[in-house]
Amino acid sequence: MKITGRPDAEQANVLICVVCTIAIVSVIGANVLLNCVTRFNAASSQVRAWKESLYAAEAGGDIAYAEVRKTILDRTNAFSGWTYSGGVYTKAPVTFGGNNLKTNSRADTFWVDPNGNPWYRIRSQGTAPVMGLKRVTMDDRMGPNTRGDSLLRKIDFNYDHFTATYGANGDNTNQTLVSVNTPQMTRRVELVAAPMTPFEAAIKAGGTFYGLGSAAYVDSFRSTTGAYDPNVRNTPTDPRFVDARAGTVEINSAIATIMGSIFGNVYTNGGSVTKNTTSITGVIDNNVPFSLPPFTMPDVTNWSFVSNPSAVGGNTTISPPAAGTASRPNYYLVSSFSTNGVLTVNPYVVNGTVQETYVAIHVTGDIGSNSGQGATITTANHVHLQIYFDGNFGAKAQNIINQSGYAGNLQFYGISPTDPSVQQTVDLNSGGSASAGFAAVFYAPSANLTINGGPDITGAVVCKNFYSNGNVHWHYDRALDAMGDAVDYRVASYVEDTR
Amino acid sequence: MKLSASIKQSGSTLAELMVGLSISSVIAAAAITASVGLQKSFNAVDQFFATQMQQIRIIDYLARDVNRGLAVTTSVDLQSVTVSVPNYLIQAGDAEAIANPSSIGTPRTPTISYTTTGPQVNYSASPSSVVYQINGMSIVRIENGVVTTIASSTDQLVPQTTDVELANTEYTNSTITFQPVFTSGGQTASRTGTTLCSTAYLRNKRRG
Repeated sequence: MKITGRPDAEQANVLICVVCTIAIVSVIGANVLLNCVTRFNAASSQVRAWKESLYAAEAGGDIAYAEVRKTILDRTNAFSGWTYSGGVYTKAPVTFGGNNLKTNSRADTFWVDPNGNPWYRIRSQGTAPVMGLKRVTMDDRMGPNTRGDSLLRKIDFNYDHFTATYGANGDNTNQTLVSVNTPQMTRRVELVAAPMTPFEAAIKAGGTFYGLGSAAYVDSFRSTTGAYDPNVRNTPTDPRFVDARAGTVEINSAIATIMGSIFGNVYTNGGSVTKNTTSITGVIDNNVPFSLPPFTMPDVTNWSFVSNPSAVGGNTTISPPAAGTASRPNYYLVSSFSTNGVLTVNPYVVNGTVQETYVAIHVTGDIGSNSGQGATITTANHVHLQIYFDGNFGAKAQNIINQSGYAGNLQFYGISPTDPSVQQTVDLNSGGSASAGFAAVFYAPSANLTINGGPDITGAVVCKNFYSNGNVHWHYDRALDAMGDAVDYRVASYVEDTR
Repeated sequence: MKLSASIKQSGSTLAELMVGLSISSVIAAAAITASVGLQKSFNAVDQFFATQMQQIRIIDYLARDVNRGLAVTTSVDLQSVTVSVPNYLIQAGDAEAIANPSSIGTPRTPTISYTTTGPQVNYSASPSSVVYQINGMSIVRIENGVVTTIASSTDQLVPQTTDVELANTEYTNSTITFQPVFTSGGQTASRTGTTLCSTAYLRNKRRG
């Protein structure tokens, strides 16, 4: 047998070299993998969870906002299924989406405005699970006083940091340690749902718009700062100038033919405003959709019912037995208003002193007619009259007599037909002198409104389709934008609790 | 059996050693060069992704503040953004805090005021101010005077924000670019290739 020199030792050297090489390569590979996984963790899981938790929070806000809207549009079902305690409505947590997002929300009335309309505060939180490794990102290494991502995207790895630090309501009370099953991120938003009053614009049409005449104009003023003055709208130095150019026209369709001069803004929904657009002093925005929900009769439970009269004939006078209030007016239920009916509403008087008097009339049929004389309605000074009608309305402009001159003191509300095949109409015809007109407001979101001739109108209208072929002089009173019962809600404020 | 007298003595000649050393040197040089290149490349890629994360962070910060903002203004060079945000939490020194020190850090109940443009929701007499700006190689966020570095990179991060204000809405378009350490197609091209875009609407300014 021939023994060669030290073959085992040479093989061991090779093995050591191979092991070292593998070790070095493995360390490099592990380093690369570690970095890649950390980046992936941050980019894919944490950033995604951060965004999704906001989506969840906003979804919770939308859920609560929908319930707030129901307090007007669907009263019997508002906050159905919610818990009510201590003035706060609370919604049980809802889990949704493929990533098991979770949201819960609460709503409370934090203020009631002078019109008696409640303002709601909505607090909502959204939670999204953070997939992947339980790690903060590498970018927390930026500097001694810089924590990078974790300062922005706060991850609850084991405990809900918000509840532990600030309490469940964020008011520094009842701080408790609440463990979380999986890492998660939670974001919190607070919305304010503000009541939308009926008359926020001079003319608001949910459908098409045609008008006004070529020599017509729409301007504005604010009755609380002085009477209407036609010179203000062309006097920039006048402090009332800003209020004189707020005759805004809002149209929720693309079919909008604008004529005359608009001293205010014009909004359409996908339209291209045509004709004389150079006569629009404000902004033209063709991307402003809005909705006009059907109008229903308000809850009259707390109103002060007066049984007589129950019909308006040739000459009917209402003298209320009490002054009433805005939230509890004298309420009359009128089953018929003859074609040429004449209605006069007087104020309540105590010992010779005229009282501010609040009257509401519900006419369950038509008022007047679009031909002939039509209805005549006179409301005396100090009377605040609201007329609700189920059918159509027809009157000459000169026969709508509001002796106070304030449009807000004579309000007409067209109750939307429940039968979709029925088209409600409001016809305002010319009559008398060229400048004959009225001070009143119409809220009839389901009615087609037609104005013939060129009356002088102080007030506002909300309707479905708007048509006017005359040289109307239209003065919108900006004091109207804070008047009337809420007809819907809008989100007026948005803040995020970034703690 | 006959054993050999001794293990055979053998060796390399100087020439063989020189050849072997040369080959080893070449292999070692190649390995070192490749390793250094690999390390540089890895560093560049790592730096690239790290800066991308910083891009995302800047965008997320901006979007959060713009979403809850009341107004946004940008500087002429578009590299400084000022966002006015509701003063949601009671801070030390605020009137509420002076009246009730335990209220510090708690949310405010909003109040309503009527202005010439309609009702307005207020969380305090004056809103907070949040400023984003470049400070050397860093992007800083300053809220009520408190400076926070939200991104710091040698890759020359450049944020640009354009504020678009319409009649009844407002939004911002932001782009963040950086200059990668490794450039191959020229600096302009390499910077353009890193652009990250974002649009954020001010939730407090809605249409309709």
